[in-house]
Amino acid sequence: MNFDMPNFLPAMPEMFVLGMTSLILIIDLFLNERTRVVSYLLAQATLVGAFILSLSLYSGNAELSFSDTFVLDPMAGVLKMAVYATVFMVFLYSHSYLRERGLFRGEFFVLALFGVLGMMVLISAHSFLTIYLGLELMSLALYAMVAMQRDSRTASEAAMKYFILGAMASAMLLYGMSMLYGVTGTLELTELSRAVQQTQGDRLLLVFGLVFLLVGVAFKLGAVPFHMWVPDVYHGAPTAVTLFISTAPKLAGFAMLMRLMVDGLPGLQPQWHDILVLLAVLSIGVGNVVAIAQTNIKRMLAYSGISHAGFLLLGVLSGTPEGYAAGMFYAIVYTIMGLGGFGMVILMSRAGFEAEQLEDYKGLNQRSPWFALMMLFIMFSMAGVPPFIGFWAKLAVLQAVVSANLMWLAAVAVIFSVIGAFFYLRVIKLMYFDQAREQGSLKPGADLAVVLSANAIGILALGAFPGALMALCLQAMGA
Amino acid sequence: MLENYLPVLIFIAIGIAFGGFMILMGFLLGPRKPDSEKLSAYECGFEAFEDARMKFDVRYYLVAILFIIFDLEIAFLFPWAIVLRDIGMFGFMSMVLFLGILVIGFIYEWKKGALQWE
Amino acid sequence: MSFEQIIFYIFSAILVAAAVGVITVRNPVHAALFLVMCFITTSALWLLLEAEFLAITLVLVYVGAVMVLFLFVVMMLDINIAKMREGFTGYLPLGALVAGGTIAVMWYVANNDYFNLTNMPPPERLAADASNTRMLGEQLYTTYVYPFEIAAVILLLAIVAAITLTLRHRTGTRYQKIDQQVRVKRDERVRMVKMESEERK
Repeated sequence: MNFDMPNFLPAMPEMFVLGMTSLILIIDLFLNERTRVVSYLLAQATLVGAFILSLSLYSGNAELSFSDTFVLDPMAGVLKMAVYATVFMVFLYSHSYLRERGLFRGEFFVLALFGVLGMMVLISAHSFLTIYLGLELMSLALYAMVAMQRDSRTASEAAMKYFILGAMASAMLLYGMSMLYGVTGTLELTELSRAVQQTQGDRLLLVFGLVFLLVGVAFKLGAVPFHMWVPDVYHGAPTAVTLFISTAPKLAGFAMLMRLMVDGLPGLQPQWHDILVLLAVLSIGVGNVVAIAQTNIKRMLAYSGISHAGFLLLGVLSGTPEGYAAGMFYAIVYTIMGLGGFGMVILMSRAGFEAEQLEDYKGLNQRSPWFALMMLFIMFSMAGVPPFIGFWAKLAVLQAVVSANLMWLAAVAVIFSVIGAFFYLRVIKLMYFDQAREQGSLKPGADLAVVLSANAIGILALGAFPGALMALCLQAMGA
Repeated sequence: MLENYLPVLIFIAIGIAFGGFMILMGFLLGPRKPDSEKLSAYECGFEAFEDARMKFDVRYYLVAILFIIFDLEIAFLFPWAIVLRDIGMFGFMSMVLFLGILVIGFIYEWKKGALQWE
Repeated sequence: MSFEQIIFYIFSAILVAAAVGVITVRNPVHAALFLVMCFITTSALWLLLEAEFLAITLVLVYVGAVMVLFLFVVMMLDINIAKMREGFTGYLPLGALVAGGTIAVMWYVANNDYFNLTNMPPPERLAADASNTRMLGEQLYTTYVYPFEIAAVILLLAIVAAITLTLRHRTGTRYQKIDQQVRVKRDERVRMVKMESEERK
């Protein structure tokens, strides 16, 4: 048998997260209600440790390992660090929310960390096999987290819809992978791209495989027309879980799209370009228009997330490293804004009351001028108003689209984001110009107040100095 | 390779033929005189209280799914056992890690009380 | 037609008939049993393709374990079959469309240039002593060690998720504590009480 020992070093963060997750799982068994905070602290320590490991492994070149099923390249490094940071924030936000609802269990953190591990595998995947396994690891953790609130009917229903539609999407993805494997005879992405370039004659079968792959990816990203699950799941899940599933998995979904399209199928670029244009236009259109009709803020943010997914696709479809960097920038910026948006819903809620209706935000300025201002930052950023970071993200993808000579697409995107600005501004109008239904000032816990303020001010600060993050994305894409 | 499975095929064929023959003979030769008493459900001499298909406790599901997980683990052990001599220390250690990960799950379910029938 | 082809067509016919049975019978338990039939015949087809390890795993895992789970789930739910059949005709056109599309794609894939017999000739039959299990094992634990360990993590996650979602402890259940029952001494159960005899009135 000729077999070389794989290089374990690039996979250190994965091994660390797996080891720590197992440790937390065991330690949590011996904790009681009072000492459960140890699990929480260990989970945070895991993310910090993984961040340090990934940072120390970060370098400008790509390293393959485990018989080319694993790759650590700059894109993987940056996205992984973004995932750790996002989930770190998610845990900070959800700490008191979970406590008030009896969900503060070690399993929440263990499942979330398994989800993180799945995202890491997906981000570093370099073969259909690891893409699929990473995706399943991530999705299984997410399904279980949505269903964790067992006595809630809406959460169970949301979990059921998510699971069934997710399983169908996975099946589609596998179907596409099987077709591509049948034609090329390989699962490994570099070999796949070479084999695709070399195939002569009828490429229709490859296109069939590509379409099925994209159906699976579009589902995971929540792009129209595969978005039906997004509002129901975001609405039905406990807000802490919504916060998790609406942010970090988008980064992994972006990585999956990049691995499959850019690493695996550059030979089919003209074909996937057209499909992504369609998905992007539909997502931006449907997301922004349907969000106007929502009265529930979680559903509204879900539709806003759909339109953001469309913008993210705009960056990728341009087919240039600058475009990919813009898409990556958009994905990271969206997770920061999504954290703020759903974080605000958590902050407004308390035991026995979920601030889910838009009406609950009426007159927030009278109750707490500071948090009304923070929400204003988040909403302006999502709408793409300068100088907030959301503006630069939109600008970057639009530049990429324009440089790909798709003026009409840029125009459509701008028109729909102007339409979409309406529902973000409506929230601001409710906060500042309507009479509060509830009297009494808003008194969130100190930790929540600090985290949300930091998040919202971060949106403003990054908006003032977007250069560093953009440069990082460009470097990661080798542009 | 397939020729090794010919006995299995013959076994299946004979099994089906034999079983089918028995059922057919019973069907042809057995006396059948149904009446309403014979056809009604028998429940210890009482009238039947309810439908026989009552709901199972969800705990059976947990037992079944834990069984599947360890069944899959065993499925992975077979090829490993066959090639153990060829794959060397690395192959051995990869299975040790695999089992180690599942042992953590086993400790978890044991301590959690999932194996206990209340 | 060779002997193998005859076997293939027999098992395929049973498979298709059983699959139709799964979706047409009224009793969900019967549907699950038809599914068992599907798995067993599929396993025979895989064996014909010389994938002996997968064929046996299919029987071991799917027939042995997954179907047990299916049956439990079917029995756990209060399925009202009459109600489930409502709206069947309403969904029929859509379902037929999806089925037709799927068949068209499969037809196209199977009849494509890539997969015709000149581009993809049938592989050589394996020798009598060749072992498919051995071939799998040589790759799985070395070349594919990374996906293999991820599979273990997915199984671990499945354990955690299943227990998180379904385990409920009942309060106030009484147990037999057998060890304590066996160890018990006479003095712990019987108390000798000395009483003065009372005068009968």
